[in-house]
Amino acid sequence: MSRDLSPKSLLGVAGAVATAVACFLPWSLYAGFPGKMLNTGFPGGARMYVLLLALAAGAVLLLDPPGRVRGLRAASVWALVISLLTALLIGYAGGGLGNVAAGAWIAVAGSAALTASAYLLDASSDRDRRVWSLPDADWRMPAEIVITLAMAGLALYVFVVGLGIPTSNVASGPDHTFRDAISLNDVTNGSEFLAFLFGIIGLFLVAGRIGLTASLGAITQRRRPALVTGATLAAIAFPFTQDGSPYALRIAASIGVFAAAAVGLNVVVGLAGLLDLGYIAFFGVGAYFAAIYSGSTTSPIHVHLPFFLVIVLGALVAAVFGFVLGAPTLRLRGDYLAIVTLGFGEIFRISVNNLDGQSGPSLTNGPNGISNIPDLGLPGGFSFGDNHHLFGVPLPFQANYFFLEIVLVAAVMVAFLRLSDSRIGRAWVAIREDELAAAATGINTTRLKLLAFGLGATLAGAAGTVDAHVVKVAAPDSFTFIESTLLLAAVILGGMGTVPGALLGASVVYLLPEQLRFLHDLRLLVFGLVLILMMRLRPEGLVPSKRRQREFRERDDKSGALDPPPGAHA
Amino acid sequence: MQLFMQQLVNGVVLGATYGLVALGYTMVYGIVQLINFAHGEIFMLGGFGALFTYTVLLPSGTPVVLALILMLLGGMAVSVTAAVIMERFAYRPLRGAPRLAPLITALGVSIFLQELVRNFYPAKSPRPFPQLIPPDYLINLGGGVTINAPKLVTVIAAVVGMVALSTFVRSSRTGRAMQATAQDPDTARLMGIDTDRIIVTAFVLGASLAAVSGLSNGLQFGTVDPRMGALTGVKAFTAAVLGGIGNISGAVLGGFLLGIVEVMATQYAPSPLSGGAWANAWGFVVLILVLVFRPNGLLGERVAARA
Amino acid sequence: MHSSRIVRIGAPLIIVGALALSSCSSKSEGSGGGNKTLTIGVVAPLSGDLSAVGNGIKNGVDLAIKQANAAKTVKGVTLVLDAQDDTAKADVGATVAAKLVAESSVVGVVGPLNSSVAKSVAPVMASANLAIISPSNSGVDLTGRGALATGATQTRPYKSYFRVCATDDIQGPFAADYAVKDLKVKKVAIVHDKKAYGQGLAEAFAKQAAADGATVLKTETINPGDKDFSALVTKLKSESPDFLFYGGEYPEASLITKQMKSAGLNIPLMGGDGVDAADYIKIAGAQANGDYATALGAPTDKLASAAQFLTDYKAQNYKDPADPYGAAAYDSANAIIKALAKAYGEGKTGQALRDEITKEVGDSNFQGATGAISFDQFGDTNNKVLTVYKVTKGAFVPVKTDSFK
Repeated sequence: MSRDLSPKSLLGVAGAVATAVACFLPWSLYAGFPGKMLNTGFPGGARMYVLLLALAAGAVLLLDPPGRVRGLRAASVWALVISLLTALLIGYAGGGLGNVAAGAWIAVAGSAALTASAYLLDASSDRDRRVWSLPDADWRMPAEIVITLAMAGLALYVFVVGLGIPTSNVASGPDHTFRDAISLNDVTNGSEFLAFLFGIIGLFLVAGRIGLTASLGAITQRRRPALVTGATLAAIAFPFTQDGSPYALRIAASIGVFAAAAVGLNVVVGLAGLLDLGYIAFFGVGAYFAAIYSGSTTSPIHVHLPFFLVIVLGALVAAVFGFVLGAPTLRLRGDYLAIVTLGFGEIFRISVNNLDGQSGPSLTNGPNGISNIPDLGLPGGFSFGDNHHLFGVPLPFQANYFFLEIVLVAAVMVAFLRLSDSRIGRAWVAIREDELAAAATGINTTRLKLLAFGLGATLAGAAGTVDAHVVKVAAPDSFTFIESTLLLAAVILGGMGTVPGALLGASVVYLLPEQLRFLHDLRLLVFGLVLILMMRLRPEGLVPSKRRQREFRERDDKSGALDPPPGAHA
Repeated sequence: MQLFMQQLVNGVVLGATYGLVALGYTMVYGIVQLINFAHGEIFMLGGFGALFTYTVLLPSGTPVVLALILMLLGGMAVSVTAAVIMERFAYRPLRGAPRLAPLITALGVSIFLQELVRNFYPAKSPRPFPQLIPPDYLINLGGGVTINAPKLVTVIAAVVGMVALSTFVRSSRTGRAMQATAQDPDTARLMGIDTDRIIVTAFVLGASLAAVSGLSNGLQFGTVDPRMGALTGVKAFTAAVLGGIGNISGAVLGGFLLGIVEVMATQYAPSPLSGGAWANAWGFVVLILVLVFRPNGLLGERVAARA
Repeated sequence: MHSSRIVRIGAPLIIVGALALSSCSSKSEGSGGGNKTLTIGVVAPLSGDLSAVGNGIKNGVDLAIKQANAAKTVKGVTLVLDAQDDTAKADVGATVAAKLVAESSVVGVVGPLNSSVAKSVAPVMASANLAIISPSNSGVDLTGRGALATGATQTRPYKSYFRVCATDDIQGPFAADYAVKDLKVKKVAIVHDKKAYGQGLAEAFAKQAAADGATVLKTETINPGDKDFSALVTKLKSESPDFLFYGGEYPEASLITKQMKSAGLNIPLMGGDGVDAADYIKIAGAQANGDYATALGAPTDKLASAAQFLTDYKAQNYKDPADPYGAAAYDSANAIIKALAKAYGEGKTGQALRDEITKEVGDSNFQGATGAISFDQFGDTNNKVLTVYKVTKGAFVPVKTDSFK
């Protein structure tokens, strides 16, 4: 490891030090700005993320890992973006740049110096990334387990922080509007979340460019039991964060439903390679089944089945729909199948909107939907609608549904993993890659495709039955074409064919629009832009399957500099 | 009988818009196998471009014919610009990426363009569109069956667009290059065809026709709105598949068929499955039935399945 | 190359910041005086198709809050607005409702726009006994009125839910009585958009019109968002009705009336408050003349409070119009503010404050922009005054105001 002590590097080191120090100084003289910008000492809000990026930049500069300059660029540019944006917004919210304290300017100057250094250094001198591993010693296994558990903890921490950042009603500057669509107050309110978002993107890019992501990925893959344990512990710990906020639990439960459906869709799209644009319909079948047979006062059928039976039957009914739709249509070529599934999704939505006794048989209460779905109960008088105590901590009733979601997601994940590792799963992948070749090796492609379709529908149906109880309403508006495409976006964004990918994709697709609320009317505009950019930056998804990643890298090696090299996990 | 004929005319008119927009789907799909979900938004931008030309750029008192021509050019300029930018920055970088990645990009572009127009088009909602061709000018087709002037224009535009496009693709040098690229892009490149340029041409042609449709849609209904592309886009895509995606005559035929089915379902479907609320469902039922019996659409060729 | 892309993302935001800095030089610091800050929530669609209507609701509440803060209506309290976007979807509504309930400073909520969303929002509000007043929900189930049609007793499903608007079973029959008894129409065509509001209203109209002795043709439906209604018009024309009632909103209604009249079917279209919007006339043009719409309350020119509201609303330069529910949202917010003033004066805080506000809202009695605001024991408004408007020379002109019995 040769220390690079050229003037260009020293400029960077100075910049990193200045930026880091500035993060411990006050940034604002104006009290109303989000993120506690007034105090001296350990930073909060935007300063925290600038500090992390500055430390990352300093470490990369001095430790000289592979991908050094490119990693440095990512850290420095994002640090500059966050500090400059924050400084300008403080000036705006406080009513003039005089309100921006010296700390902010030092951070801007420091990160600017860092950025300059990063771009003066020559990126082509970067060494190729490689996967690091711990030395082969006695403590290797326990260390890897600790690292894996820590990763789960980190994921929980990032999720909790991201969800907990308030984005409304903090600042109240003058009501300037930018083209009527958004006021700068809104941007100020959202500034802490933006800093968080940019900070995470920056750190993620740095980790990817210096090969840290691949190394940690390899470790967690090796320690699967620890990963499962860590993830479970993190999920159980979640309700105890955020002071047990019902909102956070509600969001987390919704993400759970969404993620379960995304994992189910992953069977169809990710494993078998069948493009399904109407997947939400199977989810809707489950939701409506649960709504109709759970004793709601607005249901035309007054039958109250036990919840366990509702899940099983709802999933079965959805499976029947899957097989009935799949049987005649699965011999269609890829994109013809896509339009047929789209059509089926629309037929489902139109049908439930019409089956109200006026323009069809009375079954779904039409556009009003079936509401007042009663709370679930367990034998022994435990009602999901009541607030309970767990380990002496009071939890709102939303926590009950959250835990139910965890069970659902876990079940769906297990089903997916068992399937993908089985003979059937390998046959699906073969069909996805080359249907003709798969058929030639003796795989009954039609039957297996039908099975994928049916199993995907089953998982969606099960998720739907739970969703109906969480939302307490089943209405036609919830099962539109756009919902199907968002599910698909979650799968593709996260990485096709992987479980962590589907979970991450579902979180991003659900949480990002949620936390971008401070953008008001521009929320969807920005969301659309984010979809375009993410697909451009990582076309294979955030957590690509190993196989797929290798394939993609072979084809396009140039932009591969962003990611681990071929065979990183081998 | 008069009622039936009148509804048939209504269906053909409805289908003409689907068909014109479907041509854009079919062109792009035929060449790069990409379902460009944002094409509906290109249609919407054509309508807004024409409206912008009329309300902002044209002096009042411009003769109607001149105004229409300029509006068409304005709409095309906006549509084509948007399509070219979209191709260059959203789709081209993803060539060779996993097959479904561009689909999500298309979704992103679609949301982005809709929201862009909704938030930043200068006039507030609703946006009344000048009715330069009077909608109460009825032309009698005999037997009491009538069609009004803007609808007639829409139908003529669809047929002219289809004929012009298929002539272009069949006879012109660029058109033949397009056919070659569609059949085998790699070989086409080896033969000296600039496939990047051919792909852009496909986007440009599709966008121009979408702009024609956007203008005629505005003239026909007297209003444009940012959501119009999303609904029409799905229908047009359906029409393109119905006719056999990649096939130019098929797209327009599919459009007419879909329009007629929806109209006839409104009038004749057995109660309680009748009425506008069920019409779209009938459209998709027919689509599924057609594909079950003709898996490549009405005019689609039986090509060996691509991997 | 990658980083330049990042700069491109960051650049617009930086430009926004810079623009603002160059345009603002001084600012008064607002949050002094040791005032307690309490929040009034809004749940409405603030993005997507219905955002103009949702923003009208938000602005109505915003205006009420600004006036209350300026007049110091609630002593020692600065009110702020927390507007949440429900995207017109039930599941999103439940999420943002939980968000508002979790925020301890929220003392009352105005919204939502759609009845279907209310069905997932109201239970969450009821679980914390947080008052919610809807300016627009017309679905009968929300206050248990659905039971009345079947002769059963009405029970209130959500204990903290109120509304200041007319329900379908009042507005529909009122319109039907006017059409059949005053206009003497004989053969009525019914069309609706198969959405909760449109269908509920159209069914209530059809029932009353038949009871009043008119011939009611089989109900037709349309698909919301469509523009070409020629199939519907041709079908209607073959049945030669002399009146059309449309249950739904103005974007489709304006196109239907236009296409109907262009095709030579010259009969008036009547709609509910979803059609009573200036934009209806803007889109339909001269062909809107002779059409009718009903709306809750007396006409604005007969009500000083309404005219004052419109003047104040205009002065704020909001982007979106107050139509159709801005005034009702303003009244809803004022009901909460008045209840808060009383409850806070009694020194209540926390859950006790929410409980007391919900109770006080139920006892509301004041003159609002839409008329007298008071609620019955189920949360429905006692204001049963409705007005029929007729489009005359390009404007809605009131032709009949009456109290529905």
